[in-house]
Amino acid sequence: MESGLSNLLSVSIDFGTSHLLFPTIIHWIMAGLFLVILVTKVVPFLAAVKRGERTLPIVGEPMDAYRFFGTLVLIVAYFYLMDVVGNLFPYTGYGFLFVSMPFVLIMSLMYMHEWTKKAVIIAVINAIVAPGLAWFILAKLFTITLP
Amino acid sequence: MEFLSLLDVTFFLLAGFGALIGIIFGAIPGMTATMAVAVCLPLTYALGLHHGLALLLGLYVGGISGGMVPAVLLNIPGTPSSITTTFDGYPMARKGEGEKALRVCVIASVIGGLISAAVLFLFAPMLADFSIKFSYVEKFLIILLALSVIASLSSSMLVGIFSGVIGIWLSLIGDYSISDGGNGKTRLMADFMEPYLFEGFSLLPVLIGIFGISTILLEAEKGVKSELSHERVKFGKGSGFSLGLFKGRLTNLVRSSFIGTFVGMLPGVGGSAASVLAYTQEKNLARDSSQMGKGAPQGLIASESANNALTGGALIPLLSLGIPGDSTTAVLIGAFTLQGIQVGPLFIPENANTWYIMMTALVFANVVMFFLMFFAIKHIAKVVMVPKHILYPIIVMMCVVGAYAINYGIMFDVWTLLIFGILGYLIQKVGLEVAPLIIGFILGSQAEVYFVKSLESFGTLSIFFTKSPIAVVLWLLILASVAFSIAMSLKNRKRDREEQIG
Amino acid sequence: MTLSKKTLAGLGSAAVMASMTFGAGIAMAQDGQLRGNIRVVIGSTSTGGDTYQNSSIVVDKLAEHLDLNMKVDAVGASSAFRTLDRDARGNTLMIFHDQSYLGHLYGVEGYENIFEKYTIGPTVAINPGNAYLVPKDSPYETLDEVIAAVGDGETVRVAIQPGGVSEIGFSALKNAVSIEHPGQEDNLVAVNTGSQSDKNQQLFDDQVDMIHGSVQANEQYTRLAEDDQKAMRFVWLTARQDTIEQAPEEGLGKTSREQLLEYVEPNVHVTMGDDETFTFDKEFFFLYNKDMDPGIVEQIDEALTEIYEEGEIQETQKNSFFIPNFKPSDEASEYLNEKMSRYEEIIDNIK
Repeated sequence: MESGLSNLLSVSIDFGTSHLLFPTIIHWIMAGLFLVILVTKVVPFLAAVKRGERTLPIVGEPMDAYRFFGTLVLIVAYFYLMDVVGNLFPYTGYGFLFVSMPFVLIMSLMYMHEWTKKAVIIAVINAIVAPGLAWFILAKLFTITLP
Repeated sequence: MEFLSLLDVTFFLLAGFGALIGIIFGAIPGMTATMAVAVCLPLTYALGLHHGLALLLGLYVGGISGGMVPAVLLNIPGTPSSITTTFDGYPMARKGEGEKALRVCVIASVIGGLISAAVLFLFAPMLADFSIKFSYVEKFLIILLALSVIASLSSSMLVGIFSGVIGIWLSLIGDYSISDGGNGKTRLMADFMEPYLFEGFSLLPVLIGIFGISTILLEAEKGVKSELSHERVKFGKGSGFSLGLFKGRLTNLVRSSFIGTFVGMLPGVGGSAASVLAYTQEKNLARDSSQMGKGAPQGLIASESANNALTGGALIPLLSLGIPGDSTTAVLIGAFTLQGIQVGPLFIPENANTWYIMMTALVFANVVMFFLMFFAIKHIAKVVMVPKHILYPIIVMMCVVGAYAINYGIMFDVWTLLIFGILGYLIQKVGLEVAPLIIGFILGSQAEVYFVKSLESFGTLSIFFTKSPIAVVLWLLILASVAFSIAMSLKNRKRDREEQIG
Repeated sequence: MTLSKKTLAGLGSAAVMASMTFGAGIAMAQDGQLRGNIRVVIGSTSTGGDTYQNSSIVVDKLAEHLDLNMKVDAVGASSAFRTLDRDARGNTLMIFHDQSYLGHLYGVEGYENIFEKYTIGPTVAINPGNAYLVPKDSPYETLDEVIAAVGDGETVRVAIQPGGVSEIGFSALKNAVSIEHPGQEDNLVAVNTGSQSDKNQQLFDDQVDMIHGSVQANEQYTRLAEDDQKAMRFVWLTARQDTIEQAPEEGLGKTSREQLLEYVEPNVHVTMGDDETFTFDKEFFFLYNKDMDPGIVEQIDEALTEIYEEGEIQETQKNSFFIPNFKPSDEASEYLNEKMSRYEEIIDNIK
């Protein structure tokens, strides 16, 4: 009996496939939990949606589409251009510096609700000073590699 | 006391200056203590060993402490180990108690730092001998214990665990790293991802993406209302802070400090696990932990005293085994090798002067950190007064710098920010929880290595129960933690039901 | 007062445009020379390790000599190769050691044949510290006893990190057993482990009988009292005898050069057949993008030749327990290629 138990508990691991052992365990746990959640949470929730008591997340909610998608597009453009521009001046951090400035400015303006002269001037100054300072201290003083 | 003659004004100035720069690095989202130490490492060559160490230890202490600032005020952990600080710090900041929260954090930090320094000084070689009693099996159980917090962290236990498991899954993407003893093969990804994801997602970009970028996306969705950054934080006399907050919290403070020191000294477990474990234990052991996660100072005390206690703890294996206890001490080891000094089991007896010098720097840096932070808090807390349209672009920019710089310049880490920003947004939208997910992510890959390696070495599952008395104790703690979570969840459900009826 | 959003958005994109044109101007400069900021990526992620230390010694000298901004970035092997792949302009260089081709020989994912895919640059130094250790109270006094014991059918477990520098000594040992005691080589078992701390831990736990380590990381452990659980003893340094002979006389820590010489050939003999003894020196060398201008290869060769003639760099390297070992690119490439084929044989033999 005892040997039966220790046989049950003994495992031999093939080093060549040992990278799959833990992920497999996690997959099973994840699948099990997902099923339970599906039954206890998702199905009742969808039923409530159908009855009109609840709304679906994201699609059923009010959203400031201009700012939300604007943010996404802006971040993608920022990351992409930073790499492109940075490649023109290898390892100087100029890619970061020159692309951060318009990014900070455009994002500021996009989030600003009332475009007063004062607020815009502050945003412009910020867009020049903040990336400039970050670049100078980190890339120049501390010689951190920046895009 | 020969070493006293080695102390000069420059030494103290460097330690203090290090603490200041460290705080600034820690306080900027995306910049970490590790980075601060790494960028200043080349300077130490010119400074000489003792002055160099003063600077680096200052940076280390300052950097770890500075992480509390964005954690409390912006809900972005400044360093990975301040993640549990966000759980209670941010809710407090939203209630207008940001300044109070920060003061609690600073005091907890300095006490944690000093306790661990004392432990380091008095018991380093002895504790190093104790720490090598922890093999793969015991380390796996420690990780499991830390993971058990995810069950009690969220309002629904099921959702919390599920989120945590997703986090573990995400951490497994990439190769089963050879440097951890794996076979270097990749899994959970398609071929086209291999050039980018060979080593998986890296922790810091994931962390600041999921906390920082997703917060900004959630705000953008709501239109970034023109109100000030958060509900106003009260200033001046009304900070509401008094030492009375620490009344009855002494056990928590001391316990968390010891947990931090202890976790710090286990090589390979290190870093973020310390504050998570301290937070778990406070939640399990405190008489009343119902407010934790909703803005309870006791959560801050546990988290911050543990993460500062990490500093002394992580130095124990470094100085008495030659093995770094966390990522920052891994960089610190370079300061010694650059000067041609070997760290190992004989370091302390053979370099007594350097050892005393380091202790002095560590204690002094903690004191400087305390005064700098405690009196600057009033001004630091004003960061939330900055309008969002100015603050957010800067946060994104600094997150980019941090993500890019953490692995010394990798562009994919910047894209990771965006990927996890969007993921974090979706997760919160569908009702999953970020905190357990990120804890799962932090601990997942270590759990894998220790689990698989234990089985490889011993070939039987029973080893997890029979390896050593330490393993048995750890199991008892895990069981207690799980039982506690279940009890809590039942109690909550009962209360909810009563409220619904009432 | 409000401003038009369009104007400002336009202003932003104009700035991007402007910076782009500005950039194009700078990227064009004279050919065949290093220019601008140079980044040297290394195959290790650690800034406390030997690769970083050695690279920063060399790169600092080179930067000074060429009057350029050069910086060492510890990005790790996979990222370093990828970064190097993308930049043929010479702004990215790489420094790594024998792992770069051993990884390929052992079939580790992410490693390709560097002799085909890259240009091999000059070698700069050797880390002579590659070592194997046993517990101080081990029954095995010497490596010969280990080989004999394995030949007698005893199982000896060795903790290594698979797929590279840490494994090559183990493979050679296994090969030696199969030559001297055919059929017994499977008694030498590799226990795949990660970092140095993991390997040490395996030894403390009695999970292995021997570990791979280094003089630098383990020297202090060899000086602990025998009753200390952590005490270890060197049994083998894989370096060549004349490599160790070039080390400073005082050796490392409190272990002198003379003591270290006890653990290298010919005192320790790991046969490769035909009276040949296996040795392994961990050598650091440059790797370049295949399409990089040959003028730059020459420029770096020349600069390093001059630096090594000055003789200062050798002192710095020796102080950090590196053995200076400069070979210009052509020589280095041929030498390393030959070195690889020798190890390839061993790995094939024991497959």
